[in-house]
Amino acid sequence: MSEGSVLIVGVGGQGVLLASDLLATVCLDAGLDVKKSEVHGMAQRGGVVISHVRFGAWVHSPLVEEGQADALVALEWAEALRWSAFLRPGGALIVDPVQIVPPAACADRRTWTSRYPPMDPPSTGGRGPQLCLIPAQALAKAAGVARAANVVLLGALSTRLDFPPAAWEEAIRRLVPAAVVEANLRAFAAGRDADPLPLPPPGPRVAPGGERRFAVAVVSAWCKGCDICVRICPQDCLRLDSLGLVRVTAPERCTGCRLCELLCPDFAITVGEEGGAVVV
Amino acid sequence: MMPHILCPGCGHGIVLQALLRAVASLELDPDRVAVVAGIGCSSRLAGYVDFCTLHATHGRAPAFATGLKLARPELTVIVITGDGDGLAIGGNHLIHAARRNIDLLCLLFNNAVYGMTGGQVAPTTPQGSRATTAPRGNPEPPFDACRLMIAAGATFVARGLAYEPLTLQHLCMEGLRHPGFAFIDVLSDCPEFFGRYNRLGRGPEMLLSQKRRTTAVGPLLARKPALEGAQVATAPALPTGVLHRETRPEFTRLLLAQQGEGFP
Repeated sequence: MSEGSVLIVGVGGQGVLLASDLLATVCLDAGLDVKKSEVHGMAQRGGVVISHVRFGAWVHSPLVEEGQADALVALEWAEALRWSAFLRPGGALIVDPVQIVPPAACADRRTWTSRYPPMDPPSTGGRGPQLCLIPAQALAKAAGVARAANVVLLGALSTRLDFPPAAWEEAIRRLVPAAVVEANLRAFAAGRDADPLPLPPPGPRVAPGGERRFAVAVVSAWCKGCDICVRICPQDCLRLDSLGLVRVTAPERCTGCRLCELLCPDFAITVGEEGGAVVV
Repeated sequence: MMPHILCPGCGHGIVLQALLRAVASLELDPDRVAVVAGIGCSSRLAGYVDFCTLHATHGRAPAFATGLKLARPELTVIVITGDGDGLAIGGNHLIHAARRNIDLLCLLFNNAVYGMTGGQVAPTTPQGSRATTAPRGNPEPPFDACRLMIAAGATFVARGLAYEPLTLQHLCMEGLRHPGFAFIDVLSDCPEFFGRYNRLGRGPEMLLSQKRRTTAVGPLLARKPALEGAQVATAPALPTGVLHRETRPEFTRLLLAQQGEGFP
């Protein structure tokens, strides 16, 4: 492929920009014209990061239009679906089916249930995209660097482009921090050899460990009613009673964050998991 | 013994709790930990802990602790002092303990006022704020305890907040592990005197306001590289976290080596 448009998407911190830099470097080394455009700076808020890479003998615009991308490399499942309309018919959708729940989709802080919807994969075959599910995070972890999922997916992408593996490895050596170059090379090889996962991707996430309940124990004899715990509790579980002492009025809302326990100057509060040992 | 004598909303209890969690997480033997305290609200806390304790004279906790550490070098010695106790009455003892680099952890509970004696101006009272002995506002500029300690030669200097008890616990753990004089300036609050006189609210308001007056030096403060001295001086708000760290020969070891005795 002497020309093409690739879209790389993910969540902040997954290495979208490094992946697009690697791809651009490989293209430049092959003597092609490359243009790249990215939405970045979202990493700190866990936001979306997207990078367009277009290459060819002569590229006029860095932006990939809807329905024009030859390949979509996605580091997260929801992001893959969000951007899948940018693929041209028959384009390659290379995706790690890992699910990262954005904070805004967290429905209940106690059980960590989320509103991350169960999403069906886009229809494949015919005019649809060629879906290629790669367990990139797991492969990267096996290669020694959990954060190299981006390079694993590049490995999978490289099998669909005309550049020789040596060119990719050279780019990795040049751009990746020296301490993790070897691990990234292993991750790249793992991505090249990876067998795509069968459909469908894992279902919606469930709360780890099921529903947890917490018990807040207050030693009233030590409480001086300073109001710190009442004001600090993010779930509004505590209240001062008519005597000015703390009472646990809504124990069912407790998420076990222990802020009240940590910030009680009088050692009067202990938070424990219900059923566990609570020392009063 | 409990409840302790501190006023409602006083941050000292939070700091003590963080220190106890630090000692517990390092799995130190309580019988081999000594807490030395001077006089003041903060120093009263030595009476509530189940370690070896020494309640010393006003401002002299670092001096007593130096003697104790030299006599029993195997003990982990923690000095609990306040801003008045440590920086005014005992200012000399504190800077000389830092200069010698003797292996102590010194926690300075900084509530910007003399709480126990009725709210007099302390060396850390901010300029312009009111106290019983400064009804028109304090005309003196305050000490920055951390810069003082860096200048005096302390080899580990940090600042923590009562508002951030987990970070404070990590700072205490770093300080306890540090072989040399470790100093932590802990911002606490005095709602009864400082807060009431300056209309800063009660315990919760004072505690929450700590975040506004400070800037953290990195999120995992204790693991971050130290801030350079010049940056400490120009930082807009009080910096928190590990501000200085260096390696220098420790005093007890030097003295024992001089006497030809091995370190136990």
